[in-house]
Amino acid sequence: MLQWKENYEIAKPEDYKTIDLLAVAGAREVSDMEVVFAGTGLPMLAVTMAQHTGAPGASIIYEAGSMDGRPAHLPASVGDARCEHKASVASGLFDVFNQLQKGSMDMAFLGGAEIDRYGNVNTTAIGDYLNPTMRLAGSGGNSDINSLCPRTVFIMVQEKRRFKENVDYITSPGWRVKDWPSGKWVSRQKAYGSMYRGGPSAVITNMAVFRFDENGIMYLDTFHPGADIEKVKENVGFDLNTAWCRGETAPPTYHELYLLYNVIDPEGIFIA
Amino acid sequence: MSTGKDKLMTVPEAVSKFVRDGDMLTFSGFTIWRRPMAVVYEIVRQQKKDLHLVEVNSGTHGEVLIGAGCVKIWESSFMGHELYGKIGANLSRKVSNDEILVEDYSHVHMVYRLAAGAMGVPFLPTYCALGTDILNPEYDVLGRAGFRDGSNPRIPAQKFGYQEDKFYGGQKVLNVPAASPNVCIAHVQQVGDEGTVKVKGQRYTDSEAMKAADKLVVVAEEIVPEEVIRQEPNDNLIPHYLVDAIVEQPWGAHPTGCFGCYEVDGEFIRDFYSKTKTQEGFDAWAEEWITKVSDFNEYLNKLGFNHLDNLRVNTAMNYSLRVKRGAK
Repeated sequence: MLQWKENYEIAKPEDYKTIDLLAVAGAREVSDMEVVFAGTGLPMLAVTMAQHTGAPGASIIYEAGSMDGRPAHLPASVGDARCEHKASVASGLFDVFNQLQKGSMDMAFLGGAEIDRYGNVNTTAIGDYLNPTMRLAGSGGNSDINSLCPRTVFIMVQEKRRFKENVDYITSPGWRVKDWPSGKWVSRQKAYGSMYRGGPSAVITNMAVFRFDENGIMYLDTFHPGADIEKVKENVGFDLNTAWCRGETAPPTYHELYLLYNVIDPEGIFIA
Repeated sequence: MSTGKDKLMTVPEAVSKFVRDGDMLTFSGFTIWRRPMAVVYEIVRQQKKDLHLVEVNSGTHGEVLIGAGCVKIWESSFMGHELYGKIGANLSRKVSNDEILVEDYSHVHMVYRLAAGAMGVPFLPTYCALGTDILNPEYDVLGRAGFRDGSNPRIPAQKFGYQEDKFYGGQKVLNVPAASPNVCIAHVQQVGDEGTVKVKGQRYTDSEAMKAADKLVVVAEEIVPEEVIRQEPNDNLIPHYLVDAIVEQPWGAHPTGCFGCYEVDGEFIRDFYSKTKTQEGFDAWAEEWITKVSDFNEYLNKLGFNHLDNLRVNTAMNYSLRVKRGAK
């Protein structure tokens, strides 16, 4: 793929994989100079890609405690020694999460097992929470980051059983949430009051990119090459607004593929 | 106050002296980094029971203790082995079988709970995770099980509390209760022979965890003269008088990683994770790697020099340049 360096043509479908498209679509969500909270896996690929393309001044914060590291080798997890290579500061969770709460982060990449139309995400348990059929990893920083970051982007697998009318457990808050202790459904703005800063802005899956309207309801923005509106609808478990669909997601360029395979993840940790 | 000499002990001595059945424990590290594995294996060997883990996140160490049936209550926000196992399969199975009580919080909630414990205050306020089921009173698992009746002074009477901000504008804020474990077990790179602790690389929630606990057991890659570790006090994290036990155990965090010393053993953790998918699989693994080896050095011998050498870091980079991490 060395020959693809500085070839800015759109790659043909046979020359890239879905994960490549996801990394590139994620990277395009990052603006230059933003402070970005990212987790393990695709988020790392997306933000690092952004730093190599449209957002060279973006800073990556990993929740284990590194701030604007410039790894010489891709970290395999956020606690990795590689995260803090040439970092501005390396400290710990208390420090980076306090910065999040104070309002120093601009956007974040997160994942999830289930999502509803309001962007409420479940990463905790499948089935009845008190008697689950499958216990998952749990919240980690997902709910914290999604609570107080002005913009969050979810990267998820597209399946009907994951895009649900109601998720089994709300781990991470979307645009319409339950106000505890009453449990009444309210807008996110009401639940967060003066601490409201924004919320989920995009969901990127293996089939499409979704965004949220002014009422916080998910709509189809673009579908990936090879998919279409019908295919996307078949894989969403709630009534989906497709009226505003702009068409196909822009594929990666050859130069972006070169970066992904030769510069960002040459060891094939997340892409192989 | 004890001198360094009284604190110096072996891994088995530290476990039998400081870990009792029913204790609340917390740990150093982050998911698969700098976990006190030598002590965790010894806790299994000594068959400690009814442990109550309170930790910001868990990982391979938690899965060992839970799989071995040592844990009654787990309060945390995350369980998994990162790239090498996306969930905790032992935890998942035991939750479904009602063999463990799980109290879910978020990362910030758990960090603040231990920070409050470390600060000696009863709670800390936060705005994180408002609107989520983490706050759903129906899902207060310890409350449902009758553990919030005051009989255990380390379990708070409520999972959360709410309060109006009376200083600036009245916004509702969430309070999380302090956590003060009986013991924190930490693995670090260096400790002085009187107990001064140095942590290299990211500190995760080490400071909060170590200071929140009543007793602190420190396992280090090496014990160095106190006068040497005091040459750069700005680099040190914990003063000697907070440390109750000092243990030297090289490679003591394996298979988790230790910044500046050795890499995460991804291959070993991936194999462990696959074995944990059934109780029988875990039991066979535990027999092979814990109960059939007499101590941690025998475990290291079983792994062998070549295997460990491959994980050893390049000290210029603080990580290994040789270990195969991906498909290429």
